Amino acid sequence: MSLLNLSFIVLLGILIFVSYFHFSNSFLDSYNRKSNGRFKFENSIRVVIFILPAFIVLFIFILYPVFETVRLSFYDKFGREFVGLYNYKWAIDDPEFRRSILNNLGWLLIVPTFSTFFGLVIANLADRIWWGSIAKSIIFMPMAISFVGAGVIWKFVYEYRGPENTQIGLLNAVIVSFGYEPQAWLTIPIWNNVFLMAIMIWIQTGLALVIFSAALRSIPKEMIEASRIDGASELKIFFSIIVPYLEQTILVIWTLITIIVLRIFDIIFAMTNGEWQTGVLANLMYDWMFRGGGDSGRGSVLAIVIMLGVIPILLWNLYKHKQEQNI
Amino acid sequence: MNKFIKILLATITSSFLSFSAFAGGHYTGPDLSGQKVVMFGPWLSPEQEIMREVGAIFEKATGATFEYGGSDSFEQQVMIDLKAGSAADLVVFPQPGLAANAAAMGGLVPLGDDIEQMVLDNYAAGQSWIDLSTYADENGKDQFNAIFFRTNVKSLVWYSPDNFEDNGYEVPSTMEDLIALSDQMVADGNTPWCIGLGSGAATGWPATDWMEDIMLRTHTPDVYDMWVSNEMPFNDPRVLEAMDVFGSFALNDDYVNGGSKAVATTDFRDAPNGLFTSPAECMMHRQASFIPAFFPEGVEAGVDYDFFYFPAFSTKDLGTPVLGAGTLVGATNDNPATLEFIRFLMHPEPHEYWMAKGGFLTPHKGVDGSKYASDTFRKLGEILTGATTFRFDASDLMPGAIGAGSFWTGMVDYTNGKSAKEVADGIQASWDAIK
Repeated sequence: MSLLNLSFIVLLGILIFVSYFHFSNSFLDSYNRKSNGRFKFENSIRVVIFILPAFIVLFIFILYPVFETVRLSFYDKFGREFVGLYNYKWAIDDPEFRRSILNNLGWLLIVPTFSTFFGLVIANLADRIWWGSIAKSIIFMPMAISFVGAGVIWKFVYEYRGPENTQIGLLNAVIVSFGYEPQAWLTIPIWNNVFLMAIMIWIQTGLALVIFSAALRSIPKEMIEASRIDGASELKIFFSIIVPYLEQTILVIWTLITIIVLRIFDIIFAMTNGEWQTGVLANLMYDWMFRGGGDSGRGSVLAIVIMLGVIPILLWNLYKHKQEQNI
Repeated sequence: MNKFIKILLATITSSFLSFSAFAGGHYTGPDLSGQKVVMFGPWLSPEQEIMREVGAIFEKATGATFEYGGSDSFEQQVMIDLKAGSAADLVVFPQPGLAANAAAMGGLVPLGDDIEQMVLDNYAAGQSWIDLSTYADENGKDQFNAIFFRTNVKSLVWYSPDNFEDNGYEVPSTMEDLIALSDQMVADGNTPWCIGLGSGAATGWPATDWMEDIMLRTHTPDVYDMWVSNEMPFNDPRVLEAMDVFGSFALNDDYVNGGSKAVATTDFRDAPNGLFTSPAECMMHRQASFIPAFFPEGVEAGVDYDFFYFPAFSTKDLGTPVLGAGTLVGATNDNPATLEFIRFLMHPEPHEYWMAKGGFLTPHKGVDGSKYASDTFRKLGEILTGATTFRFDASDLMPGAIGAGSFWTGMVDYTNGKSAKEVADGIQASWDAIK
């Protein structure tokens, strides 16, 4: 019943859009024919016709929320009374806000760096062994898991039980078998951030690996063979030929993963919910926006800070993209 | 706020004492065929199955369909839904403070005079329940917004009678005895307590219950009320004292199963399992009356587990205080089917149904007391009759940002080694920040 309704609505939507383009376009054509080409704005109007639907969607779902967020950041927690810069002042004074920024920076530095590094090294090594492609597919597998799913899996890895009980967490089981004390990994400040980042690295290494494996094939075999004949060591080949040759790819992957990391929220939400000083800006924003009744003013301030942090990286990415097109 | 809490004691108590002679009979409702009622709440399995079964009674009687969905991140999710205008018809609030927030943003509809009258007529000391569920709407006007459904008593310690018998332990009647018993257990090589604070996005709340119970056992009820209303700051030495008493349990590696590190990382639903392992991982578990719902399958009340009153200090002249709480059901629209479901919840039948499943207490005067799952639950009545002070869960009455926010995270930080002073200062700072 509801499936029928849904497919009907989808069909109706498609029909409306097709007829919108078709009829507005043919209307413009016929008007143009009648005016015998004296109508000069034909092309610019046709552009408007085709851009308008996309623009409306962008306006409703992107531009309007941005303006509304900016407006709300100057209002009280119900969004009713104007409070000026009060919410911004609160954010600057809030120790948790500062810690979240530091945590975010940590994520942005560590995760893309290590994912790219591991991806490159593993792609290189996997080419030399017969079970390389099996290893690659296993390492790529986490890409298919959602962040929350990965969080649940890793919760079991980091699970803690008291020293006198049986360890059900993988990591603690391993270190206990070596005779060490089990640790409540997720509650050790600063290090717990690294344990959470490890999950993201575990997921993103697969992405880097696949792209690097493909890029490695583009390196001319003759060049590597020539360097071998000249007596270059494998390490020398890696750093003096492969890395410089793949520089563009490394940069692309690094920015790609950076952009994924900018959105980091789900892993932390599923694993610690920002407790034990692991919160990042997105978690803090969610907490202020919705926890215990919510405060749309402070939540909006945090959303704006996140947006301001993302914009430079996006601009740089756009700039790179344009440059590539020009080449 | 003081008076009704006192009446509250009388209410629940009387519901235990004066099981009315008449049984409620069956609920009959208007024909609501084709209509749908959707409920959203904090209950997950196994409570959500029971709620669905309760809903099935309504479906059968009216022809409407009923759906229940639960989330352990309920506190945030419900605000998102209300703000987006896509909330379920009925919302189950675990805390009056959160319901008040929802009402203040215009998320709840007034339930109307007839339902208010039903609460007045059917719940023992109905007015006190009405006061607890009357909130200012977005225009600041007080409205009757929710009914209490399923109340609980929190000052309970659960244990296994077999374990106590095997070791020759006796149920303590004073806090001093309880601490001595805990030390005795440590000396015997046992672990006295299982404590777990984990609860998804609500992690930390079980520690606030500990705090509240201890506040009532170290200070007068007036101090408790001042604490709830923040007339007394959160970082007052009296609060720090209570927090340190909690710390003497939770931060004592010998006292807690898994050591103090395990306290915040253990889920509150898993924590009591330690009572039933062999050998037992712990001897006692302090938790509210609803916790048997999470006990391992097949354990029997009164045989495999029992409870005693979390005792008071004999040296402090504070009588025998009891802490309690309850969940509220509010409506986000005034569809006939939605409001009829609330009327249905005021009928004895759903109360009796859940009572029989266990972990359910009710102030409803019309229910048949013999429907309680076991004598164990009937014994809760004795704890209430013995109480000289009854107070509603403090964190539930505090503003949402504190009682469902910084108080929770503060207690998690405390069990992870932050000092009581630092934690209390932080909570007070967040309270100042929302004033």
